[in-house]
Amino acid sequence: MSVLLLKYSSTATKVLQYLRGSTASEQSEQSRPSMLDFKRDILPLKNIIFRTALRIVLNREEAEDIVQDTLMKLWQRRDELEQVKNLEAFALSSARNLAIDRKERMENRNVSLDDEAHNRPDESSLGSDSHIVQQETHHFITSIINSLPEKQRTILQLRDIEGKNYKEIANLLSITESDVKVSLFRARSELKTRILQKKSLFL
Amino acid sequence: MDYKYIEQLLDSYFACTTTLQEEQILRSFFSQEDVPGHLAQYADLFHYEVIAKEETLGEDFDQRMMARIDAEKKEQTTTGHIVEMTTSRHAKSKFLGISSQVFAPFFKAAAVVAMALTIGRAAEHAIGEQEAEENRNIVAIDPYIKSSDVQQAIRVKDVSQAETKTTNDSILSIATKDEIQ
Repeated sequence: MSVLLLKYSSTATKVLQYLRGSTASEQSEQSRPSMLDFKRDILPLKNIIFRTALRIVLNREEAEDIVQDTLMKLWQRRDELEQVKNLEAFALSSARNLAIDRKERMENRNVSLDDEAHNRPDESSLGSDSHIVQQETHHFITSIINSLPEKQRTILQLRDIEGKNYKEIANLLSITESDVKVSLFRARSELKTRILQKKSLFL
Repeated sequence: MDYKYIEQLLDSYFACTTTLQEEQILRSFFSQEDVPGHLAQYADLFHYEVIAKEETLGEDFDQRMMARIDAEKKEQTTTGHIVEMTTSRHAKSKFLGISSQVFAPFFKAAAVVAMALTIGRAAEHAIGEQEAEENRNIVAIDPYIKSSDVQQAIRVKDVSQAETKTTNDSILSIATKDEIQ
């Protein structure tokens, strides 16, 4: 009889545990912070994604397409991304992969696309269309940066324009911090050399 | 004005040893109107760095993006609803959550009924055992009663046997008497 009671009490506690477990998961489900909101959490990333993508593909329409696709991807995966601590870093790294992919396809499809970009220099410097001189100087800097290898370009963009620290950039590109510094050093050196060359030409 | 600090910062910038704050100081310095001649060559670069961050998408982008999101939502609610329920892990767990939420009282009731039944059965079993024990006692007593019955029966039988013997004897005596006659 006592053995039987023990047996039944153990099954009863199991049943209770099951019930308690189910209600606990319910509570966590309910008390969890509200899901990602598109306008609040995802849409504000559009401009940094746009600038980063534009720096890679050098074409506004393509860059906007990449922003749309990236934001769409984030939205579709919002359930699993709730746990992602740095949504921006995730967004930028997937946008970069998309941009590199698109750039390759563009180059395979149309070799003259780069020339087209050169013919429209102010395409990627919208904020400065008030002064022709400013456009000219910005075009000069833009052309130097855009002539750099993609990795150096992206790192310069993230550091000097977006103001990201080395650790963030390293995580984003899945490389080491010293690797980031080496690429940044090469990019800035190239800028310095070209700027000094221009100065000597003017003198 | 002494520009040694700015010159030092510039050297550090090109050597990649400046901090983010120091780079911000450089950008602030070069965004002023009167940059001294020997530093003016770098003004464009730092000014560009500031301007480039103002590069943004047009206002019509939001409309296009929201239209795409709304289209996706509609698609999900009409066709992909069931698929989403079964494929998405989160949806699944959510579904489970809802079901347990809805059926929780039933689960509890079922558990109570199950427990009552099992305890009842256990009690029944225990009582049954007691009854069986009592029955066994009765069975144990029974053979005694029966043996006494048998003894009595044997005794009765003996008596009847004796009776038959006497009757047999009497018949024999009658028969012998007949033979003699």
